[in-house]
Amino acid sequence: MAEIGKVRIRVPSSIKAGDVIQVRTLVIHPMERVERDPQGRIVRKRYNYVNRVVVTYLGRTVATFETTQSVSENPFFSFTLRATAPGRVRVQFFDTRGGVWEGTADITFS
Amino acid sequence: MTEISRRALLERLGVLGVAAIAGGFIPGTPAGAAAQPLGLHEKVDDAIARLFGGRPMKDGRGTVTLQVPLIAENGAVVPVSVGADLPMAPTSWVRHVYIVADRNRIPVVTRVTLAPEAGRAFVGANIRLGETGDVRAIVEQSDGTLWQVRREVRVTVSGCGG
Repeated sequence: MAEIGKVRIRVPSSIKAGDVIQVRTLVIHPMERVERDPQGRIVRKRYNYVNRVVVTYLGRTVATFETTQSVSENPFFSFTLRATAPGRVRVQFFDTRGGVWEGTADITFS
Repeated sequence: MTEISRRALLERLGVLGVAAIAGGFIPGTPAGAAAQPLGLHEKVDDAIARLFGGRPMKDGRGTVTLQVPLIAENGAVVPVSVGADLPMAPTSWVRHVYIVADRNRIPVVTRVTLAPEAGRAFVGANIRLGETGDVRAIVEQSDGTLWQVRREVRVTVSGCGG
């Protein structure tokens, strides 16, 4: 888990102005699942998982994922955006322990 | 002087009126719901009732595409994607996409809030599935129209432990 918080983000290699492109992103994160004691009772503790992912492009929020512990470890998400101008896509992952993990990708037209 | 101030006042009232109507009619996410955690240990029917309060849902077949594997060898990582053949314009767009796993102890997997700038109603995620059961996608348009599709996924190895 040394890598926790490492964000990967991929945009298509060739983009034309106005294209709707698919962006894929993931963060290395344990997404702790609910534990149970031998009697099957839920162990009450502050689980560490990503509960919000915010995507911004050209300074505007394009997508927000609110997530629960039903999302896999090392959560992966994909979404689309309309590439209207060259600029930066920023993805921020927020976890329940206050961690903020960020990745960016530049959109350039070919 | 009085004429101008009267006009200004009416314009302001007009803006306020529009804001009040928008605030009242756009379903979105009321502040009360946002304050509540999205994922609770609950039955799927309770989750749906909590999120949508019994609002009618249209059959999304032909409109909403839910891609899931028929058989998930490993319930810990199940790729799911949801697309909707609905407009993404500033006047009418897909505001929310929900992914729900009926048999999970925490059925609500994610609620995605989209802006028209997304260009297309599409989201994908890797989710956990505790056991064989339906996965559903619920799509909410900006006018509050709800569309639902569901598909069964057979799970070989549980992904939720405990």
